[in-house]
Amino acid sequence: MSALLEVQDVVRRFGSLRAVDGASFDVQSNSITGLIGPNGAGKSTLFGTIAGSLKPDSGRIVFDGRRIDRRPAYRVARSGVVRTYQAARVLTRMTVLDNLMLASIGHPGERLTGIVLRPRGSRKRERETRQHAEELLALVGLDSHAREYAGTLSGGQRKLLDLARVLMLRPSLVLLDEPMAGVSPTLRVQLLEHILAMRRERGITFLIVEHDLDFVMQAADRVVVMNEGRVLAAGEPQEIRSNELVIDAYLGKAHAPAG
Amino acid sequence: MFLQLLVNGLVTGSVYAIAAVGVSLVYGLLRLVNFAYGDMMAFGALITYGVNGPWHQSLIVAALAGMAATAALALLLDFALWKPLRSRRAGFMSMFLASIGLALVLRQALLLFGSAQPRSFRVNPYRVFVLGSVRISEAQLIAIVAAAATIVVVALLLAYTTTGRVLRAMADDRSLAAVAGINVERAIRIAWLSSGLLAGLAGVLAGLVEYSFDPNFGFQLLLPVFAAVVLGGIGSAYGALAGGLVLGVAQEVSTWSGFAGGVNPTYKPVVAFLVLTIALLIRPQGFFGRARIA
Amino acid sequence: MNVLASGSFWAFVGVVAGIYTILALGLQVQFGFAGLLNFGQVAFMAIGAYTMAILVVKEGWSMWLAAPLGVVAAGIGGLVLGLPTLRLRADYFAIVTIAFSEIIRYVATNETALTGGSQGTIALGSVGTAAQYNGQWSSFEARVQHTLGFSSPDATMLVIVWATALILLTLTWLALRTPWGRVLRAIRDDEDAAASLGKNVFAYKLQALALGAVLAGIAGLFYAWQFSFFSPDDFQPLLTFFAWMILLLGGIGRVWAVPIGALVFGLIFAGTRFLNFAPFSWFASDERAYLRLIIIGLIILLLVVLRPQGLLGNKREMVLE
Repeated sequence: MSALLEVQDVVRRFGSLRAVDGASFDVQSNSITGLIGPNGAGKSTLFGTIAGSLKPDSGRIVFDGRRIDRRPAYRVARSGVVRTYQAARVLTRMTVLDNLMLASIGHPGERLTGIVLRPRGSRKRERETRQHAEELLALVGLDSHAREYAGTLSGGQRKLLDLARVLMLRPSLVLLDEPMAGVSPTLRVQLLEHILAMRRERGITFLIVEHDLDFVMQAADRVVVMNEGRVLAAGEPQEIRSNELVIDAYLGKAHAPAG
Repeated sequence: MFLQLLVNGLVTGSVYAIAAVGVSLVYGLLRLVNFAYGDMMAFGALITYGVNGPWHQSLIVAALAGMAATAALALLLDFALWKPLRSRRAGFMSMFLASIGLALVLRQALLLFGSAQPRSFRVNPYRVFVLGSVRISEAQLIAIVAAAATIVVVALLLAYTTTGRVLRAMADDRSLAAVAGINVERAIRIAWLSSGLLAGLAGVLAGLVEYSFDPNFGFQLLLPVFAAVVLGGIGSAYGALAGGLVLGVAQEVSTWSGFAGGVNPTYKPVVAFLVLTIALLIRPQGFFGRARIA
Repeated sequence: MNVLASGSFWAFVGVVAGIYTILALGLQVQFGFAGLLNFGQVAFMAIGAYTMAILVVKEGWSMWLAAPLGVVAAGIGGLVLGLPTLRLRADYFAIVTIAFSEIIRYVATNETALTGGSQGTIALGSVGTAAQYNGQWSSFEARVQHTLGFSSPDATMLVIVWATALILLTLTWLALRTPWGRVLRAIRDDEDAAASLGKNVFAYKLQALALGAVLAGIAGLFYAWQFSFFSPDDFQPLLTFFAWMILLLGGIGRVWAVPIGALVFGLIFAGTRFLNFAPFSWFASDERAYLRLIIIGLIILLLVVLRPQGLLGNKREMVLE
């Protein structure tokens, strides 16, 4: 079974800094893969190249058998790869419901030609989208906030909205960037349950960058470790835990100045 | 003929360069695109005219007076308008719109109190120096010498004085600079002072080169100056210098008959904009500008 | 002061307000909804007006064919501007749009054979004749006037302009309530987030720019019909700034705030003609034109500093940062 996502020798520089320096690994379909590593290891940058917001200087990224490293961000999203940010990026000046309604791909009403030439198809899609959005809001417990501006939501609520938005988009692969950062213990449990349910019920694959090693060890099937822009090791959580190189990398960084 | 155009281009270009540095210093520090800058140049030129003509002072004295007046104006405006906007945490858009409102007020005030009549400095328009195939008028010569001296002085100040380094560092990262204990307000005042001085000087030199000018000429200069700033990469003083020179030369040289008959001279400003657009297509952040880190 | 009592004068103010409503509506679509810093809006007005006038005078086309083509030309102008420039960062884009509008004005001034040059449309025809493009429009206007039973052509023009403005306002308002409009608002809010939702941000921006240009083109047509003659100097950046001021006055991001802003602007502009008290009386009447513009500039400044959300704007949705 070939991997859903293949990262092959990706390099991305910022000036003289090699943020990602030849990283390679695979992500298997329907798995939860953790991406860990010390600060500055290049994890967020790598996410950026996969999601299309950054172009790699060299290397290939193959998703579902097709190269996506040259595609702009919006086309990567349309291909089924969705990325979230550490601080949930909601549209603050729009309502919670609108935030979700926007997460529909291929809505004819979103094109000018669609409004004019396919008014009925557009209205139908709009009804379906609204229904789906309301279901998801109920699922994450935000339905009472549907008509409020997303900017009024708390941090935890925004994370839930983010999650609902991911579900709306019906992706194949979700890139979660530190989903547990700054999250209360109760919400943590809730988020983990949602992630596991999504994998189970919808067959979604997850690639998660996370500093909370307990979470990663608990949730992930496979762990990829990055250090200084390269993949140091990859394998099951148990193996990684006792891997000497990994321990060295973390210990070494723990004594180095932060940033 | 080509050489003549090159020299003309350097003259125009150095005026743009000086003005562009003035715009860039303020942008680097305050993220403010000062749309009123052209009218500040006109202000400097008109004050200089007033001192040079009706008050019969020499051009140098008049120019210094003009520069000082423009610098004073810049500081006054910072106190009356920009500082209040800063304290309200106004964003880029608000500042841009405010500078447009300001430009309107300034120019109309110049027209109201100064009249739209064209004026000239007391320079002999017929005195011409000949160097090989190139003819330079007295006005052009004064302009190019003054400009060259200023460019060198500005470049040195930026590179070697503490203030210069502070301004450049703050253009790079203002929040960091504040944390590092730099007196932000003082740096801002220095930036406005310098911007005003440069605007005044650029206005005088432009007035010299064009021979006759009226209060509206500031706006006509503004666009090539902005183009120079953008070309060089907004916020970079060195980029502004380079951008100004490149655009000035490109504008003049494009009219050379060797380029398939050359561009119609009335379209020179269009050449500047085209150069800018093409350059931005290739390098969207300008020569020395910083790319947006996604 | 008896001009103030003249209905004809107020009809004129109303027509100008109507034309500016349409122009500013275009800007509202571009900036208020898609977040584009277009400072060259007047260029599309010029393209619309000139295309129509040139086709009627030089090519002998019917007005009813030339006018829509003028509007289309304006829209194409929007595409021409947007394609190379919409990916630029906001401040560069703003500067390039001003440059674009000045280039259009330059071309209009210098290509005398095509546009009549600095003399304006009067020179469009053959040498020695004063060209006129307004023939068909005048007869249309007369027919409307007759149907409505009005006694003055000014009142008729007022009705025609505002009827058109209201139709355009309604169409825009409806368009913005569609899913398409929702995407525009998302782009205005956070375009990278919109891209991560699969939206082709560039395409939407281009559409907004072109539609705003179309509206400006229509405003240009009405300008041409109202004044029956124009020249490149009628399309200076000042008009774009007036449109921005209208947006600031009424409120950014609200379609129905535009006519309110335009009416207030019209009143300010017209009203300041009659400031006969000190300090205005110190100046000669032609100098008062400068004073009026100073007042307008001061109003822009005050609005930006004190009430950036405009008279009707929603502070929470305020886009002026």
